[in-house]
Amino acid sequence: MKFPALIAAASVTLSLAAATPAVADKLDDIIASGVLRCAVTLDFPPMGSRDDNNEPVGFDVDTCNDLAAALGVTAEIVETPFPDRIPALISGRADVGVASTSDTLERAKTIGFSIPYFAFNNVVLTREDTGIESYEDLAGMNLGSVAGVFEAIALEEDFNEWDAGGSFRTFQSQADVFLALQQGQIDATVVTGTVAAATINEGNFQGFTIAGEAPYLVDYVGLIALRQEYGLLNYLNLFVHQQIRTGRYEELFETWVGGGAEAPDLSVPGVYY
Amino acid sequence: MLNINYTFHWNQAFQALPQMIDGALITLQIAVLSMIIGIAIGVPLALAKQSSIAPLRWFANVWIEVARNTPALFQVYMIYFGIPAVLQLVAGLFGIDFRALGINIFYLDSYWAVLVGIAFNNAGYLAETFRGGLRAVPATQTRAARSLGFGAFDAFRLIVLPQMFRAVFHPMTNQMVWAILMTSVGIFVGLNIDLTGVTQELNARTFRTFEFFALAAAIYYVIAKIVTGGARLIAWRLFRY
Amino acid sequence: MLGTSVTWGDITFMMTGAGLTLAITFWAMLGGTLLGIVFGLIRSHSPWYVNYPMGAVLDVLRSVPLLIQFILFNSFQSIAGWGMNPFVVGCVVLAAYTSAFCTEIVRGGIQAVPVTTRRAARSLGMNWAQDMAYIVLPLGTRVMLPSWIGLTLGVMKDTALVYAIGVIELLRSSQIIITRKPHEALLILAIAGLIYFIVSFPVSRLGAHLEKKWREND
Repeated sequence: MKFPALIAAASVTLSLAAATPAVADKLDDIIASGVLRCAVTLDFPPMGSRDDNNEPVGFDVDTCNDLAAALGVTAEIVETPFPDRIPALISGRADVGVASTSDTLERAKTIGFSIPYFAFNNVVLTREDTGIESYEDLAGMNLGSVAGVFEAIALEEDFNEWDAGGSFRTFQSQADVFLALQQGQIDATVVTGTVAAATINEGNFQGFTIAGEAPYLVDYVGLIALRQEYGLLNYLNLFVHQQIRTGRYEELFETWVGGGAEAPDLSVPGVYY
Repeated sequence: MLNINYTFHWNQAFQALPQMIDGALITLQIAVLSMIIGIAIGVPLALAKQSSIAPLRWFANVWIEVARNTPALFQVYMIYFGIPAVLQLVAGLFGIDFRALGINIFYLDSYWAVLVGIAFNNAGYLAETFRGGLRAVPATQTRAARSLGFGAFDAFRLIVLPQMFRAVFHPMTNQMVWAILMTSVGIFVGLNIDLTGVTQELNARTFRTFEFFALAAAIYYVIAKIVTGGARLIAWRLFRY
Repeated sequence: MLGTSVTWGDITFMMTGAGLTLAITFWAMLGGTLLGIVFGLIRSHSPWYVNYPMGAVLDVLRSVPLLIQFILFNSFQSIAGWGMNPFVVGCVVLAAYTSAFCTEIVRGGIQAVPVTTRRAARSLGMNWAQDMAYIVLPLGTRVMLPSWIGLTLGVMKDTALVYAIGVIELLRSSQIIITRKPHEALLILAIAGLIYFIVSFPVSRLGAHLEKKWREND
């Protein structure tokens, strides 16, 4: 495994010396440097979080490690809060974003997405004492979510449509949303089912409960890289495909989400990607 | 060296200008209200700090020192996430479970948390400013007023206060600009309707950080200049003599 | 510890954050003060067509929220491909911000020295550098130092905003722990506040003391 990587690295270095540096693309750079720097969000369990020693762990962290292994380089986790994912990529502080980034068309104007490597269903997360039992009960309540994420945009649209009072607030991290929910500044939030389940299982927030599904489209998330790095984006697509083909995707799902649930289907019937 | 692999999309930012202006109005609203509250509390705090009654003095000292020696972001964060926790704790001590009764005394909206936090900060800083201002008014002024038949309160209200405000007008203008800039920390406690909050949401949706925040910076600058310019005009009208 | 689930490991984690807070403060003050002295000297000794534009540029730094400056510069250096880490970004932005205030402090200090005193120095045969070093510096320092101490404290508190660009300083480290132990939010926040206060309060007392002492001597 190491040997071909070395040859690859050596040949890239050689070709670098011969050709002008502009020819080497990001994929070459990563292989040549021997390090893959992944932007990962670490307050989004089970996708990314810190263990008791404050070391990064989670589905996204493992995915980054797999990608690094495939490239024959070592992985380095660059912690990026949600708003910092793109600056980290554009500045070259990170090479790839493995950070549960929803592949919206709006964002694709700025950043390049791989094919989906995970998909979320959204659920209503609330406290037991609020009496909220379904998504419809959210009308008129105090709601909150993480600024700008897929489910926040969907929830805000419905909130405006209900026009039934209450409030809608956005926070800078998932942790702040949960804290606000626990303390009562908000009554409910809509989060991805995996995050809701992981949060309840961890037991840090007592009295949290899931009150049904949110009727949103499936939230597909992709790996992200610079928009113009086609070589790297191609590689990422194949990597995601291989993860699923080899069963590694289900294995990681079992490790980090588990609970008897099926790993979400990443294909959409009736269409090519 | 500039090695730019990014194309600016200014169009997107300018399209959002009306939304951002609405946000700026909320920013201004919070700043003005927090200044009014800050002045209303700052004057008594300044007096309390000089009071001969010890508990009053302690209270004023604690307020002023905490406001001045911890970050404004911390103060706002504490009011939003800390005060509900205190209330919960106290209620728990008495064995009261408000939630079971369906009353949510813990609910504090982001808007109010930011307003209260910045007003708290303003009051602390303004109290010190006012204390300096009060020193600038000679004691003979009060004596002269009293000997002209003014009551103690009237002498303070009609003779001392106006002169103090004249002395502290410039630092107060600075505090007002500060208050405007401080409202930006609201995004950490969920405020999404002020200028920074609106900008941050637009940014998260589109990932066009530079364009949106550059526009926001320009708007903040214009507001700050309008405020200082306006204050100069007011000062010129009020303190001509 | 204290019958809570907050461990010494958590306290150490917060102390590391506090260390970063102090480190950023140090670099920002160092850079900001040096720049401020240079800018202050230039502004005090240059004709209006240099002085005014410079004042206007520095004024922008004081009229835009620091939080926005962090985010904006971070995104700018991203676009320019400089690849600075958030810690460096924090130090650079805060140093620029500090320099804007420090410039005014230096200018105020120089202006506080009566022109007649300086003329006297020059007529005694001192050159500009000697005048600055032996006359303006000692006299101006009395005016400048208390303000400078105030500025240092302000900068120390402003470091809390680097939270926004992902530096794990004191406030952010507290927030990370709160994520894991939400029921201890109050205690953790109180500890963070106490750390800020313990660092800030004695220095602010020192500043007030110096100001008072030197005013009495005038």
